[in-house]
Amino acid sequence: MFEPDSYEHDLLNRASLDHCVKCTICETQCPVAAVTPLFSGPKYVGPQAERFRHGASVDYSLDYCSSCGICTNVCPQGVHIAELNSVARAAMKKDHMPLRDQLISRTTFMGMAMTPVAPIANAVLKFKPARIAVEKVVGIHRDAAMPTAHTQTLVGWLRGRTAPKPGSRGKLIFFHGCAQNYFEVETGVKTIEVLEHLGFEVIVPKQGCCGLPLQSNGIFDTARVWVRKLVAQLREAPRDLPIISCSTSCGGMLKHEANEILGVKDADLLEVGGRMRDICEFLLEMYDNGELDTSDWLENELTVPYHAPCQLRGQNIGTPAVQLLELVPGITVVESGAYCCGIAGTYGLKKEKYEVAMKVGKPVFDKIVAVNEGIAACDSETCRWQIEQATSVPTVHPIAFIHQAMGLSKLPVTTGS
Amino acid sequence: MTNTVVIGAGLSGLVAAIRLARGGRTVTLLTKGLGGLQLSQGTIDVLGYAPERVDAPIDAIASLPATHPYRVLGPAAIAAGIAYAQELLGDRLVGNADRNVLLPTAVGALRPTCLVPPSMTAGVVTGGIRYVLVGFRQLKDFYPKLCAGNLERQTTPAGDPITARGIILDLPAIEDMADSSALAYARALDDPSYRAKLAAALKPLLQDGEVVGLPAILGHRDAGAHRHLEELLEHAVFEVPLPPPGVPGIRLNEALTALAKQAGVRIVAGAKVVGFESAGGKVISVGQATAGRIRQYAADAFVYAPGGFESGALTMDSYGTVTETIFGLPLHGLGPDLVTAGDPSDQALFRVGVGVDASMRVVDPAGHIPYSNLYAAGGILAGATRWTEKSGEGIALASAVAAADSILKGA
Repeated sequence: MFEPDSYEHDLLNRASLDHCVKCTICETQCPVAAVTPLFSGPKYVGPQAERFRHGASVDYSLDYCSSCGICTNVCPQGVHIAELNSVARAAMKKDHMPLRDQLISRTTFMGMAMTPVAPIANAVLKFKPARIAVEKVVGIHRDAAMPTAHTQTLVGWLRGRTAPKPGSRGKLIFFHGCAQNYFEVETGVKTIEVLEHLGFEVIVPKQGCCGLPLQSNGIFDTARVWVRKLVAQLREAPRDLPIISCSTSCGGMLKHEANEILGVKDADLLEVGGRMRDICEFLLEMYDNGELDTSDWLENELTVPYHAPCQLRGQNIGTPAVQLLELVPGITVVESGAYCCGIAGTYGLKKEKYEVAMKVGKPVFDKIVAVNEGIAACDSETCRWQIEQATSVPTVHPIAFIHQAMGLSKLPVTTGS
Repeated sequence: MTNTVVIGAGLSGLVAAIRLARGGRTVTLLTKGLGGLQLSQGTIDVLGYAPERVDAPIDAIASLPATHPYRVLGPAAIAAGIAYAQELLGDRLVGNADRNVLLPTAVGALRPTCLVPPSMTAGVVTGGIRYVLVGFRQLKDFYPKLCAGNLERQTTPAGDPITARGIILDLPAIEDMADSSALAYARALDDPSYRAKLAAALKPLLQDGEVVGLPAILGHRDAGAHRHLEELLEHAVFEVPLPPPGVPGIRLNEALTALAKQAGVRIVAGAKVVGFESAGGKVISVGQATAGRIRQYAADAFVYAPGGFESGALTMDSYGTVTETIFGLPLHGLGPDLVTAGDPSDQALFRVGVGVDASMRVVDPAGHIPYSNLYAAGGILAGATRWTEKSGEGIALASAVAAADSILKGA
């Protein structure tokens, strides 16, 4: 239970639940409830159970919520169902947080530990007996997708290169998130190169973890410390510039989740969140304003299956990657047509959730397997790992196709796998 | 680049967006959540009561008050709206705009409607029909014996008796599930092996010549589920719509959303439109409360199709003041005694809404046009009590098509 005057208590008891008219639209759209009777659905564990909680949990199936946020996104009455349930789950887990959840929520530690010994770390993660041991001791499923470590971080790459000329279009701030720094360096590099190609000078301030994995695992106190620290770091750069992210979920953390789930109402956070743009959102807005010249983009005759991550939908910006990719001559985008790939950050890693997560993602995997011509696209890194693991189809951030269309990398795009 | 913004993802918003996009406009559709269509019965009501039960909906329009949206639209526009729904949805809808049919509801009332999914046509009440209604112990939204009992208390329009009985099966959607939703059954029935299981349990209980009424659960995505079950049972089968969210409404919503995407409509879901900018008598842009900021969407024409009180587009405060919440538009139908102690289903408040001219452009009660590029469609329109008239889908379709056509013609 939380203290009576805490933010959690207020949200649990007040929130937006009185707006719920019990239409059950969220129940019909919940990707977890569709595949397992272990989860009774967002309305039952949320606005319904909320009235009985009084600070304590009454429905333990809440633990099976993946926090994908689709319930909030589809609610026609504006009820913050996912936020309500995230807070309630944190309350439920507060006094007995599993070691596993403590570990997997500290991405920077994983990155810092793995980078210096990347080949060994990667080999260990692919070594079945080691994974079985990890599953038994820690509770991370033996078949769950794991990131690949690299010997060089994005920060290392930035340090080692010649600084480009000042941009003709002014400056931007790049928020790389942990994944782009440690595990998806190429995505970070391509995003920076695309922005520089467009004439922007890209500033990359020193930055730590946004705390999202901690938040989604219910470790709120530490998450608040981390996100506040990151906000201060991002504000070290000029404060009148847009902040660009190619890490969907981390961008979303700063845009709204830290505010709506952790209850961080600092003016600094809201200010940073208001400047945060997803890279595809940013580029499409440029195009809409007549500022993105695509006339010299190279042709790429390709059908690209694309999955819009749940965490992107939660930002209420539509699916800008679809429109952006279709600006590339020759590209046809086929959307996955499903809400979630199942991984939902760290949900699908967990031993007891793995089977559910794979069932949630099945429509995504089936569509990608059916329509791919050797490559798929998805904005979020953890989703890409999940999709690659399940389908063996190399899956890249949409920016890779834009990078290629601008002539900055060779055809065809691959992840090298 | 977007040149048209549609607000709302219900029937009118989706249909207007599709027609505009197919007509060559670039369309962005902004919506707070999933539209209300999947809370519907999956049928197209045109006009069921005016106030007596209506058999020929288009003919009955002349008897409506002059302030009714149908009187503003006129019979040709109504027919065009229905024809467009048939064009878009093809064999998903059966029927004729000139004639209503009567279908049993989940409580055994007879409801007039116009276009119906093929999975419901066998239930149309006719002389000599013998219904058997089938429910499930695990499905708490349908009580077949209540439905059958109420049906037997009525007659067909020609005065013939109706025969009906109820059967309850003990068959969960998923093994060991105590409480299965309609959607859980529909997903189970997408699987032919579950249909075989249902048929095996049900067929021995049926009598020759009975028409089988099942709750509307006959497949979520597999449009062949209904036909397959009829073959297995060797009986005509029909679906009875359940309380929301009804599976037939879900099917319709998914079909139209897919058509909108195919037509190139950009759908931006999950956040309210919270404001707008205007200049020179035109709306310049509307602001949607996306994560972290308000994003302005500029366009040269706007279709406002947000629904009415049920969606929060219209509100009434504790002083009785009714407001349109985004544009602050002047409302039609205001006056004293909006809510009285009389018939709760017939209140002046329900007819309050936004007024339009024949092109669906918003007009104030004095006939002035507040914004020359703002059109309204669907449940926000003044003058109708959609749920008692059974006119919601017809108004939505006719006004959406009329608004889209005005924009396409450059009105």
